[in-house]
Amino acid sequence: MKKITAFLSMLVLALVLSQAAFAQVKITPMNIKQRTLPNGMKVISLQENSSPTVAIHVWYNVGSKDDPSGRSGFAHLFEHLMFKSTKNMKSEMMDRLTEDVGGFNNASTYDDFTNYYEVVPSNYLETLLWAEADRMVNLNVDDANFQSERDVVKEEFRQRILANPYGMLFGQYIEKLSYTKHPYQRPGIGNLDELGAASLEDAQEFYKTFYRPDNAVLIVVGDFDQKQFDDWTDKYFGSIKTNKMAIPRVTVVEPERTEEKRYTKTAPNVPFPAVVISYLAPTSKSEDIPALLIAESILSNGDSSRLYQEMIYKQQIAQNASFSTDIRVDRGLLYLLGIASEGHTAEELEKSLLAELKKIQDSGVTAQELEKAKNQLITEALQNRETNDGRAIAIERAVAYQGDPNTVNSDIQKLQAVTAADVQRVMKKYMTDTNRVVIYYRNAGGEE
Amino acid sequence: MKNFTTKISSLFLLFSLLSVSIFAQIPKPSAPRSVQIPAVQEKKLKNGLQVAVVERKNVPLVTVRLLVRSGADSEDAKLAGLADMTASLLTKGTKTRSATQIAEGMEFLGGSITAGAGWNSSTVALNVMSDKLEQAMAILADVVLNPTFKQDELDLLKSQNLDGLKFNLKQPGFLANYVAAKYSFGEHPANGTPDSLNAITQKNIIDFKNKNYTPNNAVLIFTGDISAKNAQKLAKKYFGKWKKDKKSGTEASIPPTSTTDNAAVVKRILVVDLPNSGQASVNYTRNIFEGRGNSIYFPASVMNSILGGGYSARLNQEIRIKRGLSYGAGSSFAWRGWKTNFSTRTQTKNESAAEVAELVIEELKKLTETDVSSDELVPRKAVLMGNFGRNLEANEGLGFQLSEFYSFGLSPSQLNSYMQSVENVSDEQIKQFAVANMKGGDIIIVGDYSIFKDDLARRFPDMKVTVIKADELDLSKAGLK
Repeated sequence: MKKITAFLSMLVLALVLSQAAFAQVKITPMNIKQRTLPNGMKVISLQENSSPTVAIHVWYNVGSKDDPSGRSGFAHLFEHLMFKSTKNMKSEMMDRLTEDVGGFNNASTYDDFTNYYEVVPSNYLETLLWAEADRMVNLNVDDANFQSERDVVKEEFRQRILANPYGMLFGQYIEKLSYTKHPYQRPGIGNLDELGAASLEDAQEFYKTFYRPDNAVLIVVGDFDQKQFDDWTDKYFGSIKTNKMAIPRVTVVEPERTEEKRYTKTAPNVPFPAVVISYLAPTSKSEDIPALLIAESILSNGDSSRLYQEMIYKQQIAQNASFSTDIRVDRGLLYLLGIASEGHTAEELEKSLLAELKKIQDSGVTAQELEKAKNQLITEALQNRETNDGRAIAIERAVAYQGDPNTVNSDIQKLQAVTAADVQRVMKKYMTDTNRVVIYYRNAGGEE
Repeated sequence: MKNFTTKISSLFLLFSLLSVSIFAQIPKPSAPRSVQIPAVQEKKLKNGLQVAVVERKNVPLVTVRLLVRSGADSEDAKLAGLADMTASLLTKGTKTRSATQIAEGMEFLGGSITAGAGWNSSTVALNVMSDKLEQAMAILADVVLNPTFKQDELDLLKSQNLDGLKFNLKQPGFLANYVAAKYSFGEHPANGTPDSLNAITQKNIIDFKNKNYTPNNAVLIFTGDISAKNAQKLAKKYFGKWKKDKKSGTEASIPPTSTTDNAAVVKRILVVDLPNSGQASVNYTRNIFEGRGNSIYFPASVMNSILGGGYSARLNQEIRIKRGLSYGAGSSFAWRGWKTNFSTRTQTKNESAAEVAELVIEELKKLTETDVSSDELVPRKAVLMGNFGRNLEANEGLGFQLSEFYSFGLSPSQLNSYMQSVENVSDEQIKQFAVANMKGGDIIIVGDYSIFKDDLARRFPDMKVTVIKADELDLSKAGLK
């Protein structure tokens, strides 16, 4: 991200929701409009006039997995450059058009996609459509800006990865050690060497290859007039010609794992040992995802969850214990995590995490747990759609992970349909003794 | 590659020819629509509990916050963390519910209950679907009125907080704020120190609760999908029997105002040496003896928006955007009733710590020496107003803003007057505030001293630099170690 990065898509899970009556609460469906411009760009809009603001998202189908060879971290670095000059805008002009009028902007690079977004007073909608269209086609970064922004990204690396005791584990080792072939093995934040090797020419090539209308989706939610919005979209985005070159796509398939692999890694200033046990997840369109989300909630959502109760509350061996679904377009990760409490070890954590996994695989979950998880996930989804920006994010994730914005209005039924047997089945299907990667993480000094 | 560059340029040219009429001119904004500020409905129960409601039906969710107007300001520095531990332990067991039952009960409803204390107040809050509010209220009232503060729960929480602190004390950004609490602001860290957390007993917690958690020292705030009438009914049903206390909460003691005659921006430099730290945190800190209710609040807020509040503010312009020295730089005021703690914050590679300190000082000096032009003032005010308005969009943000007002004894009608108050701030008021306050502060650097030691001495030849090793740091000692 430009300002607050989410290169760790594993930390971000946006749940989408749908037309459904759960308990007594009615969830209003989003009345989204969709069309495709002649140049191939998709436009999705949701008119919502209750507050005089509008959220604008431009989603590009390019992410960290598309980093050029030897340029790990490049898609994210490029995202930063999109705030620099164009033919018609000075550097940081996006901030003039948003921040200066009481709005905000940001962008983030995920493994599978990159998004650019703004929230502004609704009378600035046309201005922002103009600006987003302009930077889609007229970006014009000079070398001085390139160099200084690359330094910013290096500082971002130091802040997230080096200054945080667990930064190397979460931001580097999990991905590096969990994949053998797929480009997901290259962390989205990159590393200082490969960032240092990136050039302005790389940026020009990357821009030409991926930043084009037929590789983008515009999502606008908020206070506008539909006809006027459609006219503006035609005027600014419709005029952009699309490039005839085919867009390169990652086709590498991460092979199934056939044996357990174990690693021990160290970093300075690590106060407590940690362990991560990772497994390959199914792809984002898999029918098994809803059941895995329910399992995630039962194992680690809140103080009444299984891992909290067992490892943090009863045994008191961990200060942090969780099961996470890091779902991606290609195969993402499922992982168990433990960070030890004072005096406890990674070995204890591993044993206990695996015992909890075995419990859910052998005995399943209760009806009460299942209902609780559904209530939690629906409440979270409601919170996520309180604002125009929240609704735009929900639509965007449906586009990114389901390839269809309409799933924003149907995914909740899928969650509600999950049975206890489904949860048990998927936990057995994806997680075995011979397909896990176990990572121990400790202080480099050896003492702590 | 050169060939490729040429291609790109010609591509640009092609588009610019085609689209001259479209992209050459920025579309002008249309007329703005005014923002709806929600109305706050207030009523007091007989026992003195203030109830405030903002009804908003767009999403079937309700947020409820029980605010107690006492926080870390009401605890002894030797027991730092007491207010926060007291609040946290409320949800860890009542006369009829165990900690697990409380968590299970609330989470089964799909909601969550959180409790904690900051400097000025303590809060227990819940967020739940509106059809489940009644059941959630029963749990909220139970944890506030009937907590048991069991010893084993206290022991577990203490060890969790100690572990958390040990982790945080390895991070340069956290360490800088932690040491500033004592060194610059004469306070103690609201989340405690290793010694203070170890010293807290069950009796301390029960005493703190009894003294401060009284209906006349509390406010119950509802925001979201609920009518004022229904909220009042629930408040009376669940909190009507809460016994009134004759004296309301502890008054924070107000130390005498100290002034500084030092005309320089910085009066001293403190380094906390954290070997192998991945970055250095560079902070400027200044203690200001005027509080939230004072008329300085708005000039200070606008000045902060210019200096370090937001992406395009001066510190981020100079340190990140122009020089690539950091991922971000900013500043803020932490308000108390009678004073405020001003800090600037940024993290940079250890090699550039001293350079960044110089840049920060330069920006502070500029505030005291140069007028702010209206080209800068207008957008920076818009940033403040835009943030304020956006924070009210979701129920939690709205509830949080209201509890800010109540914790300082301010009227919730400030929701309506905030924008105008920002608008009214003049460039003169900002300069006046800066001249009076942006000097005589401290530079605090936390990082790997071996890397920036020489550069710091070179750039600040006349300044005394105090160095403390991170693992020897002890806030209970006068010398900090």
